[in-house]
Amino acid sequence: MVDLPQKKVGIIACSGEELPEGTISRVAARKVLDDLRPGETVTLCLPLFLAGDEKERAFAKSYPTIAVDGCGKLCAKRATEKYSGAVSGSIVVDKLLQERDLSPGSSRRALDEEGQQAVTVVADEIAQQVAHLLGSRSDTQRAPQPSDATAAGATCCGGPTMPVTRVKIGGASVGLVALEPIFEQMYQQGHRDGAGVDEEILKAVKVYNFVPTSAEQSYKETLLKQYQKFCRDREG
Amino acid sequence: MSDADSRKVLVIPCSGIGKAFGSIGREATYVVTEEMRPEDTDTLCLSLLTLGDEQAMERVRRHPVITIDGCPKACAEVNVKSAGGRSAANLKVVDTYREHPDLKVQAVLDLGEPGRKLAAFLAEKVVAEVDALKDKEDEADG
Repeated sequence: MVDLPQKKVGIIACSGEELPEGTISRVAARKVLDDLRPGETVTLCLPLFLAGDEKERAFAKSYPTIAVDGCGKLCAKRATEKYSGAVSGSIVVDKLLQERDLSPGSSRRALDEEGQQAVTVVADEIAQQVAHLLGSRSDTQRAPQPSDATAAGATCCGGPTMPVTRVKIGGASVGLVALEPIFEQMYQQGHRDGAGVDEEILKAVKVYNFVPTSAEQSYKETLLKQYQKFCRDREG
Repeated sequence: MSDADSRKVLVIPCSGIGKAFGSIGREATYVVTEEMRPEDTDTLCLSLLTLGDEQAMERVRRHPVITIDGCPKACAEVNVKSAGGRSAANLKVVDTYREHPDLKVQAVLDLGEPGRKLAAFLAEKVVAEVDALKDKEDEADG
């Protein structure tokens, strides 16, 4: 069986150095990655959107992404949307803390008791949004799973990302995430050129990619042709 | 902005969230800006430069900047350059680690005692660069 990448949620924190709220965004994001939702979340260093390459900039296309910002400048949200794609969720630390009548504390370096309490609140909020996006349980203190240790290790910046394949659809070049593993899995499951294969491919592709409703037919036709070629290549 | 503020050296770390060396750069920045040279230095949210915030870009163009990077992608240096600034010095955490290979960092959020020592060594290097910049500035002022 092909190891088709599991759908995960991306978390981008602003990590702002100037304010305690920036540190809270960073620590809360890490807490979700390591403790609350390991194996279901990934992250990327925000400045990599500019310093990195196409692989990094495909992040928000590869994963539904939650931006965690320390202040109203919304660097994480706006930079993600500028370089990568629309975010699926947004949390603004100072606003959230104000709503809950909490203080960020006074230190941006080593969070004090108030800062730690703020981290717990923000991390819980992120974890709930992750659960919502994955359609899974919303309890944030989920018991660790056997695969969590390895999965959490794959959350570092520039870490493993899903492969992107460029395909021409309707005259435009489109980057599709996870297309090759999807084809490989379908091939190994015995799907060939039968009825409904195009639907199956589209269904799987839509798990990892945004497909405009108006373009579904073009996607189906193109992806079926690509899959037929994939099968021919595999069979020599 | 006062004249003293406009002369401050900006210390900007990458603050990488995925690897512990990103946290070392961040900790070293706070050691320098809050403890060792608070009068001469300040920091800036790197994310503002990634976003292209005009006020932040203006600051890195006007101030001397020291960047600290945790991995070869050199996010801090690249983002400063992209904002029209220039790193007077770019310090790589790994270089300090090579000099102190016994100081293994515990984790991204918990540097542990060895990690804090590593950050302190890195902070000393940053301070040396800050002092050199200030000396140059004093010479230029006559």
